Amino acid sequence: MQINSEKKNDISIIRVSGNVDIQTSPDMKKYLDKEITGENNKIVIDLKDVDYVDSSGLATLVEVLKSLRAVSGKLKLTNLSPKVKGLFEITKLNNLFDIYGDEEEALNSFE
Amino acid sequence: MKKIIENDSHLLKEVSKELVNILKEKNVDEDIIFDIHVAFEEALRNAMIHGNRNEPDKKVTIEIEIKENLVVICVEDEGEGFDAGKLPDPTLDENLLKESGRGVYLINHLMDEAIYESGGKKVVMTKFLDKKHL
Repeated sequence: MQINSEKKNDISIIRVSGNVDIQTSPDMKKYLDKEITGENNKIVIDLKDVDYVDSSGLATLVEVLKSLRAVSGKLKLTNLSPKVKGLFEITKLNNLFDIYGDEEEALNSFE
Repeated sequence: MKKIIENDSHLLKEVSKELVNILKEKNVDEDIIFDIHVAFEEALRNAMIHGNRNEPDKKVTIEIEIKENLVVICVEDEGEGFDAGKLPDPTLDENLLKESGRGVYLINHLMDEAIYESGGKKVVMTKFLDKKHL
């Protein structure tokens, strides 16, 4: 798994590639924890290059969402592959997360 | 194929990769491989972490049978078992924010059949390998 980030205005865009699973999700959690720096953090996680997620990966995203909510922050997910999106639908996590088709749509949703 | 592996989560990826490669060689559809891949790793993870409680002296037994149009995967641990019917539904509103409890649910929904035997110590998962069953 690789992660890089970009700041656009006050929004952090986190681009993840590879697998988000039992082996890699602790690293993703550490990375994202550093991004949650204070009140009202706005984060977009771009999963365009993620082709495998397991329940550990889903759990980590739930943890990040809870951390952000605790500081009145907002989290948007974008670019989920059909199969990864399917996992969100099976587990009904699509009802919990704000999911967008692409980065631009996710960024515009903060306005 | 039958394998008895150490209770080491690093081996989880190794054996699942082996299965994925076999399915790829058989030209199984990628969407079906994805479902099997996730379910198999969830079953292994449950066996190692929840069943065998990360105890290094315990083992996980894996049996995989690939027939013409279906795969049957058995994963058995040496733990105390569990009642799959009593697990909370992770999709209920009150459980959505919980960080655990989705593994068995994913197995049950990604595979065509998942039967828990030996008091929950063994899961027998079946998936059809042709698209008409999707």
